This record gives sequence, C-alpha cells and structure tokens, in this order.
Amino acid sequence: MAGEVTIPVAYVRGTSWFHKLHPIPKLIWAIGALVLAFSTRNPLFLSCFFLFGFLLIILAGILNNYLKVLLILLPISLSFIVLQSLAPAFPRPWISIAELGPFTIYQEGIYSGISLFLRCLAAVNFASLMILTTHPSDLFTALNRIGMPHHANFMVSTSLQLIPIVQREFIIIMSAQRSRGMKATGFSAAIPCIVPVFAGTIERIQQLSLSLASRAFGSKGLKTNIREIEASLKDYVAGIIGLGFTIAGTWYLIYYRVQLDWSEDALLPIWLSKALVVGSALIFIGTILHFWRKAKG
Amino acid sequence: MSNIIECINLSHVYPEGFTAIKGINLKVKEGEVVAILGQNGSGKTTLVKHFNGLLKPTNGTVSINGIDTAKQTVFNLSRYAGYVFQNPNHQLFATSVLAELEFGPKNQGLANDEIEARVKETADFFQLHSIINEHPLRLSFPLRKIVAMASIFAMQPSIFILDEPTTGQDHGGAEKIRKFLRKLQDDEKTVILVTHDMPLVAEIADRVIAMWSSEIISTANPREFFFDLKTMEKTKLQQPQATALSHRLQKRVLNEGITLTVQETIKALEKVVNP
Repeated sequence: MAGEVTIPVAYVRGTSWFHKLHPIPKLIWAIGALVLAFSTRNPLFLSCFFLFGFLLIILAGILNNYLKVLLILLPISLSFIVLQSLAPAFPRPWISIAELGPFTIYQEGIYSGISLFLRCLAAVNFASLMILTTHPSDLFTALNRIGMPHHANFMVSTSLQLIPIVQREFIIIMSAQRSRGMKATGFSAAIPCIVPVFAGTIERIQQLSLSLASRAFGSKGLKTNIREIEASLKDYVAGIIGLGFTIAGTWYLIYYRVQLDWSEDALLPIWLSKALVVGSALIFIGTILHFWRKAKG
Repeated sequence: MSNIIECINLSHVYPEGFTAIKGINLKVKEGEVVAILGQNGSGKTTLVKHFNGLLKPTNGTVSINGIDTAKQTVFNLSRYAGYVFQNPNHQLFATSVLAELEFGPKNQGLANDEIEARVKETADFFQLHSIINEHPLRLSFPLRKIVAMASIFAMQPSIFILDEPTTGQDHGGAEKIRKFLRKLQDDEKTVILVTHDMPLVAEIADRVIAMWSSEIISTANPREFFFDLKTMEKTKLQQPQATALSHRLQKRVLNEGITLTVQETIKALEKVVNP
C-alpha cells in the first residue's frame, strides 16, 4: 500500500545459511557484538566491525528489511555526533578545534560522537541479523534446551512474537485512521495510531495472562515441547567461533585500550568535522521537522 | 439512479502472491444497500477495501463517483466513502468521544461551526451526549462500536462501508445499528455491508452479493438469494431462521408466498391462526 509503514524488526523468511543456523550461535554472536562494541571507542575497529556485520546481512538476504531499520536508526544515531561534539562525555579539559556560530566543537566530542554512532550501528547490525533470521518459536525451543527457566524463556519468546502482531495491528490501525481522512503518510502517520496499538497490546497481554493461568501455566515439573530443533556440527562451530571471538576481542580491546584510544589525536580535518556536525544536525532536525509537518497534515 | 461504485475486471494479488479477488465486475447504484456475503477468506474485505482506496487494484479498475481510485489518495476518497472497521479499537484513539467525532470533519477541513453542527447531529442521533466526554477506551465494546460508526457518520460520506457491524452487539446495540442503517437508507446513502448476520441482510439489504473463492458467484435480491439453495449450500451460508421456518411451512401451512423476515413470518402465521 502506498505510504504504508511497517515495523521492520520481525522475522523474514529465507533459506540463507544464517536462517538455517541454530538460534543459540546467533544469540552468542549478537551478545558478543554488543560486548565488543561497548568495549572500545576506537573508530577503526568499530567501522570494521560494522562493515563485517553489514556483509553478513547482505549474505543473509535481509538487506531490504535492514535498510528500513537503518532509516529509523540513522537520524537518531547522527544526533549523537551533534550532541557529543558540543558537549562531550569526556572529563575536562576539552580540546577546542572549531567555532560554529555560538557553539564550540571539541576534539573529544567528535571522537566520542563518531564512536557512539558506529557503536550503535555495529551492535544493531548483529541484533538485526539474529532477529530477522530467527523464527521466535525456534529461539524459544533452543533456549529451553539449554536449560533456561520455562517462565523466563516464555517471557522472552512472547515478547518477540508480539512484534509481528503489533506490526499487523499498526497497519490495520493506520488504514482505519486514513479512512477517517488522516492525510499524513509515512512514519509520521504513526502518531494517531500509537494509542490504539498500545491499548490493544495491553489488553492482549491481560487476556494472554488469564488464558495462560487457565491452562496451568504456573504448574511445576518438566515442560515438553512439540517443536524440536537439533544443533549440528556447523552450529557448534559457529557458536564456538562467536564465543572465542568475543573473549579474544574483549581481551585485546582491554589490553590495548591505551593504544586504541585516539581521542587526543586529530581524527578529522577541521572543515570535515564542521561539515559532519552541520550535516548530522541538518539530517536530525530535518527528519524531526519532516515528521512533525506530516503529522500536522 | 447512477452507479456510484463500479468495478471492472478487478483483481487483487497481495505482495506475497496470494490472489484475494479475481475478475470482479460490480456496479452499485446510488442509495442502494448491498450486502456482501461469503465465508471467511472469500475476499469480501479485500473487495470493500478497494472502495475507499485502502487497496489499489493489481488488475482492472475501481471507480467511486466516477473517480478512478487508483489515482486518488485515501484522504481524497474519504470524502465519498467512509469505512467502519470490524474492530472499533482499531479506529478509536482520541481522549474523548467528542474528539473522536471531530477528528474526521477536522481532517476534511470543515469550518468550526460546521464541525460543531455535525458533532451535535451525530451525538443526537446515536444518543451519545451522556458519554461525550468519556475516554472511548473506557466504554464497553458494543458502545465503542457505536462511537466508531458515529465517527464516520459525522464525516457524512455518500458511501458507508460497514465491516461486521452487529458482531459483539447485545440486542439493544444491534437495534441501534439497525436504526442507523435505516436512517442511511432513508437518507439515500449507499451502504456496503460485509456481514454474517443473515437476519440483518434479510431486513435491510436491497441486493446480496455472494463471494466464493475470491469471485462473485451470485448477485440477487435477498428474497431470491435466500431461496437459491444451491448457492447457499456452495457458499455454506444459511437462511435466516424466520426464512427457513417459512420455507418449511410454506406448502403445508402458509398460503402466502415465502416470507423473509421475522415480522413477515409472524404476519403470515397470524393469518393462519386467525383466518
């Protein structure tokens, strides 16, 4: 449908190697990526890490869905560059590198902003890789097999299963509002839909908890599963590589943290720093104005 | 009367490749009440979503008031066609019933006094004054459905599309909806009903369209349709109870023709009891 908005963070059917991979190695990779991304601020490492994740996304055949995630995430991530450049999350004194009207751009700020931006994208790459290629029921079964408590497991998998349901509801609700003459399209059309979506989700969760209670969810003892998935050798290898890479990478990043800290080196020429801050600010503010204007119809 | 809705060779294939409707040719006259019947998944909702541009034809054309819907936005078409969704929770989002009633007319860009007049007329007709400042989501489900209908009524389109209007309604709520439908009929509005409520169809509809497996397989007036047992069986639809009773008694007891509604059946039986 023209102008239709979908929440792109849901399982995408596919037959790629990643789709066939056991959910646990994928989970290890996603958690490992998060740990590594938050263990360093080094822009070169984070850039390489981002590109590696991006390559895996292309190989998994989920590029279109990932780009939709990026469309939402990019303006938010760019705001880190603007905010950090002007008020760095670093101990003072800061090194001033340029003036931008009434504002001062600091070296540490540019460094921190770029790091946060790349950190965010790198972590999201691997999270997207897991969520977009793993059926929620497979994750539920796999976590059950490795002994995750049934209740906790159920909570995680139910939350993931809610994503496509909320997505479907969102589309229906948006159609209903457009039928009532709502002119806004695209992401900004989501605004009058938020209340019905959340109200519906809360109502559904209440019904679900009652339904679970009436079907002896709280009973003690061993729980069995109809759905079974087996881990093969390649799954073990993938899991071990992920785990090894995370441990070795974290050790490397911590051990060489001083050498990897480039915060005092000039990362970019002054003109490029200015252009980056101004460009990021324009994209961020432009995005907000665009949605606001569309919401007003 | 002129045709207000016209579908020519309409087909719709969803992006995942599922053909929901195919080869639909349909004309609806201004002021006509048309019931679209069929099993779940037969294509009813997909068909009616073309009437206000929520779906665009993947093949063929749909025109509303002579306007090709493929070239129009839902916003533009909402002036002509109002769609009441099956689940009122999908429609209601404002903080009060009053704000819900104002939402559509405001989107249409009407002047404040016109909006006020429409809200008053709507609240009067649906008897909403006592709950006008209530939060819609605090109302009971049947009442929410009435508010959802009222919010479309306030927009005063010439075509009303109602998806399962009486589902989940108690007797009082269903009566209110019947009254609403009769008013639309009196006002010569075009009404498209998607429903499984056969007594409602027998009572209100001018014409029945039966769908089966993505196609229209029958178009008839309710009296003809409910006695076309072959089509009824194929579409797995059932006659209204009053009609079924009349059908069985016809040859043995009733002297008059077959009756369609409860009222008609009562009258016919009264003639038998008190000749």
